Formats: sequence, C-alpha cells, structure tokens
Amino acid sequence: MTAVIETPVIQVSGLTKTYGTVRALDGLDLAIPRGGVYGVLGPNGAGKSTLFRILLGLIRSTEGSATVMGGAVSEVGHMRRMGSMIETPRFPPYMTARQVLRWLALEHGIGGETDIPHWLQRVGLTEAADRRVRGFSVGMMQRLGVAAALMSRPDLVILDEPTSGMDPPGIQEMRALIRSLADDDGVTVVLASHQLLEVQRVCDRVAILNKGKLVREGAVGELTAVGERLRLAVSPQAKVLEVLGAKGAAEGDAVLADIRREEGPALIRALAEAGVDIHEARWVGTDLEAIFFTETGSVQTPETIHAR
Amino acid sequence: MLVDAIRAESFRLSKNRTALFWSVLFVPIITIAIGTITQFVLKANEAKLLADAEAPLGLREMMASGGQLDLAQSLVQAAGNVANPIVLLFVLIGAATLYAGDYRWETWRLISARNSRLNLMLGKLATVAGIALAAMLFMLLAAVIENFIRAAIFDRAVVFNATGEAFGQFAGQFGLSWLRILQFTMMGMLAATVTRSLLAALFVPLVIGVAQFFSPQMLGPMGIMPDAWLAMLINPGAAVDAISAAIAGGERAAALPDGLLLKAWISLGLWTVLPLAGALAWFEKQDLSKE
Repeated sequence: MTAVIETPVIQVSGLTKTYGTVRALDGLDLAIPRGGVYGVLGPNGAGKSTLFRILLGLIRSTEGSATVMGGAVSEVGHMRRMGSMIETPRFPPYMTARQVLRWLALEHGIGGETDIPHWLQRVGLTEAADRRVRGFSVGMMQRLGVAAALMSRPDLVILDEPTSGMDPPGIQEMRALIRSLADDDGVTVVLASHQLLEVQRVCDRVAILNKGKLVREGAVGELTAVGERLRLAVSPQAKVLEVLGAKGAAEGDAVLADIRREEGPALIRALAEAGVDIHEARWVGTDLEAIFFTETGSVQTPETIHAR
Repeated sequence: MLVDAIRAESFRLSKNRTALFWSVLFVPIITIAIGTITQFVLKANEAKLLADAEAPLGLREMMASGGQLDLAQSLVQAAGNVANPIVLLFVLIGAATLYAGDYRWETWRLISARNSRLNLMLGKLATVAGIALAAMLFMLLAAVIENFIRAAIFDRAVVFNATGEAFGQFAGQFGLSWLRILQFTMMGMLAATVTRSLLAALFVPLVIGVAQFFSPQMLGPMGIMPDAWLAMLINPGAAVDAISAAIAGGERAAALPDGLLLKAWISLGLWTVLPLAGALAWFEKQDLSKE
C-alpha cells in the first residue's frame, strides 16, 4: 500500500456549508493526494457527506472553494473524470441492472455497451444483469452503485459507505476491488466508512473530520505507528521484564516493550542469548479506532468497545 | 453534451413501458374504440336519426351514406383538436414521470456529475417534446383509422385532397397544438422542480388550466372583455383559439379583432418561456442531495 503524493486530486480551502444556524462544514481545508485509497472519517454530523455532496455538485458551498481534478466542481469536463456512490444508491425500479448501466453510460457520453458485462462481472452481478432492480437487495444495489461509479473508468472515485448492507464475503470482495482499483488501475479512491477496521485495512491515508473541521490527517501507517510497542510472547516472562526494566510491561503472559523499531533486533538477540524462549514477536501500534475516539471526543459504546 | 442527455432520457423512458403506454398510446386506443362504437351506434340508428328533422345538420351530414370522405380535411381538423384536455392529461403523466422521476427515485446523485444541470433539464424537455409529438402522431393515426372505419360503415369513398392550403393549415394547426401541449408540460416542469413531487407535476398544470378556462367568466363581470390584454395574458387557451382561427382563415380569421393576434402570441410565448426559465433557474441552485 503505497500512496503516490502528487498534485492534490481534491483540494478544498475554507470550505463552509451552513444550514440555517448549523455549520455542517466550518472552514475545512483539505488536500487529497492523487493515487491510493483515502479515507474520510468522522462521527455522524462531522461533515463527510456534506463534503462529498459539494464535491459532486449536488449542493453548493456557502463559502470557500473546492476543486476536483484541478477544476471547479461546476465544470462538467472535470466532473466526468470522477465516479461516485453516495450512500445506498437507488435506481429506477423498472430497469434491469444492465439497462441502468447503459442509461448512465449514455448520460456520461460514453458508448459503454461493451464494458457493461465487464463491470457487472467485476461487482459480482453477472447473473442478476437482466433482473429488474426493484427486486434487488441493499447489497446488490450497493454493488450496482459501485459498477455505476466505475464504468466511466474515472480517475477519481468517491464512495460513501461502499460496504453498507453487504454480507461478509461481499465486504471482502469490495475491499479487494477498492485496493485493486488503486493498485492496478491507478484510480484514486476516496471513501467514507464507519467501519474503522475496514478503513485501516484498505486506506493509505485518512482524514478525520469533527464538527465540520479537519482534526487529523496522515498516512495510516504513520498515525498508527505512534505509541508503537513490541509485543513479545516469551518465557520466562519475569526474566524479560527484568531485562527491559522501565521499558517493559506485562500484558497477560506476554510483555510489551516500549522501544524504537531499530532497537528490536538487538533486543531479540539479547533475549535469545539470555536463554529466553521467544514464541512470537510483533509490533503493535495504536489502532485507527483509538485515534478516532481521541480526536473526535466520541463516546465509546459497549458495541464499539466489543468490536475492537 | 445535450445530445447525451437526450439519448439517456429517451433510453430511460423507452424502458418505462407503463409511462409510455399511458402518455402515448392510451388515448389513441380509446379514441379508436369509442369512435368505432359510436359509428356502429349511429349506423344502427341511421334511419331514425335521418328522419328526425331536429337532428343537428352536422350529424345528419356525417351519417349520410355514400359520397366522399376527405381524409386531408379530417387530418387538418384532428391536428387542431389534438391538444384537447384528455390528451393533455395523459401526456402530462409522461412528462411528470420524467420531470419528477429523479426526485422520486433519488437518482439525481447518479447523474448530476455526468452532465451540466442545464443539459440535464433540456434533455428532459426534449424527451417530453418527443412524447407529445408521438402522442399527437398516434392521435392522427387514430383519426385516420376512425375515418376509414366510418367510410366503411357509411359506404363513403375515402379521398385525399392534399392541396397546398390544406397542407399549410395542417402544419400550422399541428405546430400550434404541439406548442400548447409543451406549454402545459413547462408548467409541469416548474412544479416538479420546485416541489420535487410527481403529483404536483401532474396536477398543478391541470388546475391552472381549469382556472384559465374559467377566467373569462371571472373577468367579464369586472368589465374586462375577452380580447383585452389582461384577459389574453391570463388565458393562453384563448390565445391558442385566436391563432388557430387565423390559421384556419376564412370567416373565423376575418372576425378576429385588430391586434388580437399579437396579444395571443405574446400570451402563449410568456406562458411557455416563463415556466421554463423559472424551472431552469430554480434547478440551477437546487440542493440535489434532498430527494
């Protein structure tokens, strides 16, 4: 997972959107680099959907500017290089999945006919291609929405909750598809999801929004590396704690070593020479969920704690 | 770009068989069915009605067996009558489906980034114009079929006296009827855009149409004559009647007061352009994330 940092594919400056007295976005500044998978996180009401809707031209900002692929969001030429799926999509119920894609291809100004089977296959809807969408499940709607977003072969794809309503195999397939879009097709994927573990697995960089403002931004690896420790499953535990002194702490049968990465190999050699049996050694960092709760001040519910 | 929007809307409409049936085919089918039944009923009562000296002259002429039936003249009449309230109502069903469909199915978010807002709306307008044209052509086809059935029942010979004058009248009446239907659908477009409601797109033009129809009765007691500026501006239906009379020529045209045609064209133009401009302006700034 490597992100190529170039000219921002999305740039927003001082972006503000108010609904009456509510400031959904409050002077947001954000630059999303070209390439890779970028996650936009935030609790409900943080401004994620508002940001996406402005970027897609569905609503107009109150103040500030937003550019997509270097052009204003009102410029169709730039917008056509972008695909999107906002929340669970809906389609005219009298159309089949194939007809939906054909309709959107025509609206986009592309023939698209020959590509339709490819995209239906890529989202796992080949067998349902000629069924009317009125009988589709939420997960199938979601897959069709993703196909609709991708079929114009965009340079940038915006996905809002792309795995919402999907079963576990579907989530796994979607994660693989998103990664392959970024890694194999060179598409920049910007997604919002409440499933933080999923975001941690699939995204290269994330931005955390809260109350319409950016509160944290960075590469997932860098963010989660803060507070990183070496977890050692060893025996005897006491001997390791003695070697580490103040830098060591017991965690069940294991030991957490508060050391830098470059100190790791030397520590392991020292422990082996001291006759310690090392069953497992791995680096553990702060997960995205912990960062999320810290930055947004959100309350951890029993469900979210259980999910961890 | 506009052509993309037109192709996409036309494609989508072609898959909506229910809307197509009700807006384009239903009225012509019913017209043929009722017309045929009427001819048979008249034929069954032919002797009785012809013997009735008080029966309307037009009815007696229509029933008289033998002679000729001029299809060209029938088509001119049909072209002038095709923008009747029944056709308007059912064309509005198709128009409302197109104008309000993206709010109803929450599909603006799928297409708003694929074309400009202006093109998206003009694409719908062009497709509605196509629906209206198709409905009118099917109504003309129904008129032709009905005439052939009448000719068969009453032993008439069908002739087609396509003179230059008849062709000009046909084109004029047909174009005027088309404009009248489009003018109603523009009100539907404005209503759909402002309210995001399919029912509003259907019923607002109808209610306004009814109010326009009764406007002379309301204005008369106020001393405002039907040919006054205000009366004409309020009632584009009267404007259509005046223009139709001018196209028909003869006594009807000669009876038109001076200056009435200008008022009529301005009234019809305003009722066509203003709703369209209002809908486009409203849509340009509209929040499309709400459905």
